Amino acid sequence: MKAIAMRLIAVLVILSLVLTACAPAATPAPTQPPTQAPTQPPTAAPTQAPTAAPTKAAGPVKATPGKKVDMVLLPKFLGNIVFDQAYAGAQEAHKELQNPGQLQFLGPTPENSVAGQIEIITAATTQRVNAIMISNNAGDQIVPAVKKAREAGITVVTWDSPIPSAEGEQVFVAQVDFNETGRVMAEMALHILGEGGGKLAILSASPDAANQNAWIAAFKEVLKTDPKYSKLELLDIVYGNDQFEDSYRQALALVDKYPDMRLIMAPTTIGIAAASKAMQDEGLCDKVKVSGLGLPVEMVSYTLNGCAPEFALWSFTDLGYLTYYVTYLLATGAIKGEIGERFEAGRMGTYTIEKDPTRPVGLRVLMGPFSIYNKDNVEAEAK
Amino acid sequence: MKFITRILRPEQVRELVTLFLIVIIVLGFGAFLKDYYTGRTFVRISTSIAIIAVVAMAQTLVAITRNIDLSLGSIVGFCAFFLGVQLSYHHEIGPVPAALIAIAVGTAMGLINGLIIAYGRVPAIITTLGTMAIYRTAIVFYSAPEGGIVSAHRLPLWARQFASWSIFKMGDLDFRVMVGIAILVVIIFQLILTYLPYGRRLYAIGSNPEAARIAGFPAQRIVFIAYLIGGALAGLGGYLFLLQYGNLMVLAGVGLEFDAVAAAVVGGVNIFGGTGTAIGAFLGATLIGTLDYSLRRWPAISEFWRNAILGLLILLAVATDSAIMARLRLMWARAAAAMTMELAESKTSSSPQA
Amino acid sequence: MQSSRLASLRRMQFLRSWEAILFFVFLAILLYNATRVPAYLTVGNQINVFYLYAEKIIVALIMTFIIINGEIDLSVASVMGLCAGVLGRLLEMGVRGEYAIAAALVTGLLCGLWNGLWIAYARLSSLIVTLAGMIMFRGLVWVMVEDRSITNFPAWINHLGQDAILGPFPLSLIIFFVLLIFAYIVLHHSAFGRYVYVIGNNREVARFSGVKVQQIKLILFATSGLISALAGVLYAARLGAMRSSTAEGFELEIITMVLLGGVNIFGGSGSLIGVLLSILTVLNLRNGMSLANITLQQQTGVIGALLIFSVLVPNLAGRVRAELNRRRFARLAAEQTAPAERKEVKAESK
Repeated sequence: MKAIAMRLIAVLVILSLVLTACAPAATPAPTQPPTQAPTQPPTAAPTQAPTAAPTKAAGPVKATPGKKVDMVLLPKFLGNIVFDQAYAGAQEAHKELQNPGQLQFLGPTPENSVAGQIEIITAATTQRVNAIMISNNAGDQIVPAVKKAREAGITVVTWDSPIPSAEGEQVFVAQVDFNETGRVMAEMALHILGEGGGKLAILSASPDAANQNAWIAAFKEVLKTDPKYSKLELLDIVYGNDQFEDSYRQALALVDKYPDMRLIMAPTTIGIAAASKAMQDEGLCDKVKVSGLGLPVEMVSYTLNGCAPEFALWSFTDLGYLTYYVTYLLATGAIKGEIGERFEAGRMGTYTIEKDPTRPVGLRVLMGPFSIYNKDNVEAEAK
Repeated sequence: MKFITRILRPEQVRELVTLFLIVIIVLGFGAFLKDYYTGRTFVRISTSIAIIAVVAMAQTLVAITRNIDLSLGSIVGFCAFFLGVQLSYHHEIGPVPAALIAIAVGTAMGLINGLIIAYGRVPAIITTLGTMAIYRTAIVFYSAPEGGIVSAHRLPLWARQFASWSIFKMGDLDFRVMVGIAILVVIIFQLILTYLPYGRRLYAIGSNPEAARIAGFPAQRIVFIAYLIGGALAGLGGYLFLLQYGNLMVLAGVGLEFDAVAAAVVGGVNIFGGTGTAIGAFLGATLIGTLDYSLRRWPAISEFWRNAILGLLILLAVATDSAIMARLRLMWARAAAAMTMELAESKTSSSPQA
Repeated sequence: MQSSRLASLRRMQFLRSWEAILFFVFLAILLYNATRVPAYLTVGNQINVFYLYAEKIIVALIMTFIIINGEIDLSVASVMGLCAGVLGRLLEMGVRGEYAIAAALVTGLLCGLWNGLWIAYARLSSLIVTLAGMIMFRGLVWVMVEDRSITNFPAWINHLGQDAILGPFPLSLIIFFVLLIFAYIVLHHSAFGRYVYVIGNNREVARFSGVKVQQIKLILFATSGLISALAGVLYAARLGAMRSSTAEGFELEIITMVLLGGVNIFGGSGSLIGVLLSILTVLNLRNGMSLANITLQQQTGVIGALLIFSVLVPNLAGRVRAELNRRRFARLAAEQTAPAERKEVKAESK
């Protein structure tokens, strides 16, 4: 009992320090240091976020375990393995923090994602849960529901895919830097195609997926501005609507439409698997390679047979874990969701809340970095 | 004219019209798309319509009896899922037993539909609207322990490679096994519908249920069997679905029922019963598949125009169809009347006793 | 004489049992929710029950007319999306909100007229015309909005869509209740409503008795387009944003609600009271299950089962009753078996 009281006092002291430190510091937003080099040696465990925002706070905030926080983890939709991994990560943190409250994993089906997410948020608001963690698939359409949740005193954190206008959301837990994604995709393309470059096309998810569009925009930007990638030519962007059937057909149509295309870049786990299968079925793997963001467990055979020699992803388990920590800290009042606050997220180390440089407004916690997979490490990771 | 009415039925003229439209589309796109006349185009279109052709057979069968099956997409999805999960754990299952498993599961789901519709006398659209949701929910439950997916990498080797198996190959021109299966199904059902008494009874029930009942046809049983076969076909569709795409999500097969309706209707199947052929539905699927593929290939058309054009095409196909078919039927009816008159005259003149 | 009275009696029984079943299901759900689900009985939640489905139940009203008329409209959700798209694009271009809303409504009306002309005058099947419309109108939204999300609506539009206007009621619910009363009067107490039933019963008979069948069908589909447009605008305002996929897939849920309300899919019978009961049942069921954390897909499955059983159970009960009656009649004099025979015929043609 006494220990808890002591810890509470400590937290309060730290909090007040952080607050006083940050109130004036909010105006000169911390300048973004140049992001990490894109092709890192593949790492299983992500290293610490590279932001070096100077804060005067005395050490990172630590979570006080054992507080009751009812939480809802809301994925874009059910039935994509990455979201299950995120849930596993959140469960791990849930246990670690000995939260006596409930952690629920609720999601809509893909065809009903927008209305479903809104309904789940509204129901959670009615039930007076304490916190909601959203992988937003509804763009700004989700804002009114989220605002009502905030008015009811519920902590709202987004992960994986943010609210574009940042309205209603307290912090976005970014898996990677969204601008960085464009560079990583360009780097992989160059690596696969060789120094001579070549023509490629993008196979995206649905045309209105916010994170996909941000990544594609970043990719285009990199191709345009960085002379290193000037030999890469983007032919077309098509959409597979995050369905295997559509993505499969679109990939084949691309091959026929552009006989000189040599690479399909699919920044979606569903698209990359479908495109790889299509190239394999049609015996096109020697001519057209596939790359993008993929799950090692789904991609292992295509990587080994050369259809998809290289692809990237981050750990969704870690993303769920980190998101849980951020949300728990916010819901218990240990952090306030302000620029410069530093906190400790269990086994993953220390992170800092910063201004999200990829959106006009909004805050983020950057997880990062990418893990790049190829024939050398994919088997180990797929286990 | 007389000659034509004697050797062709209106349905066959209708099939020729669809075929003609397909040729026009191919010639039209071939004129300006590069590398269009290749074996590869054939491979793409033929493989993309294999599944829909099989499912359209199921829809045709029930549509002829004045019914509809909106649960076909969900049945395809469930069978694909069921088989996918089984294959993930039992690599020893071969291609033929796997097909039988999928067909058996599909038949069971068709059985439920058929029982409720034929013997429970619940309208088909209500029943299948309900089972569409129920079967989809069954997928969610069944797949939950697997994380809601089937992954290609967990399937046995043959299942991963099935999609590229071919019957014969000539350079780029590749006739795939799955296309062969689909065409075989179409031919079998064309024969059933044309020559078996069961097939003729389907038409009789669809064109005039009262008359069929008075004639003593066991209407309930005929409709029930139609749903049973429809379920089996959807099961086969699920088998092909799994083998073509390998990776499945809970949404697998969503919307296939509407694609099947569109294919059947464009191919001249009357959704309100009585007319339509298996070959017609297959040609309808081919027409839509050809157009869809060609629009994807057309660089001037943005990704976003495809559906708008496809919707308009379906409407125009049906509109011209109803205009032309009404006229054709009239022509044939007149010709038939003239012919029976002639016959009657010749009969009365040759055999005065009658 | 006797048989027609028997028939009307039977119909009343049937209707009574249908609505009775719905009513009891509704009561059971209400009781369960009230006692077992925390937070169900709060005012906020009761408003939410309707608010989250306001657009769908508004469209369900006009869908009731169309199905009673013997037709169907699969394009409603795509029209909602298209009109939300028109609204969004125009607002984005800086057009004033009033004009943008007007343009969206006109677009909906045009979509409805397009459907209606093909159905009423070209006499094509509404299932096919509106299936094509569903694909085509959705395609037009994609063409117009592409891969973007349109947001930043004027504050007053967001206010109308999201805030309580009258007491605790938001605008969409007020519109629903006003339209419900209006629709009830038109369908059940006006010449137009009678024509809707007559045409649904038998188009040819209606035509020969001087009903302007084509005109009425055109009016119905045009109204359907207009109401869907209104619902689309309300939906966009409620979410404060729109995308190409807005309202996708709503049509099946809307049709399910109408059919569950006892409206005959082949036209000619059904009532708004039944549809209202069905709406109450579905909405409370969904709300209760949502609060009990049952996933949306499972909810859809439950409603699908409810749809089938709501027809199946009365059918089976009717057949059991018919069978019992026949046995009783068989024991009585031979001339009294005639009505039972006829009953069989009636059931067969269903």
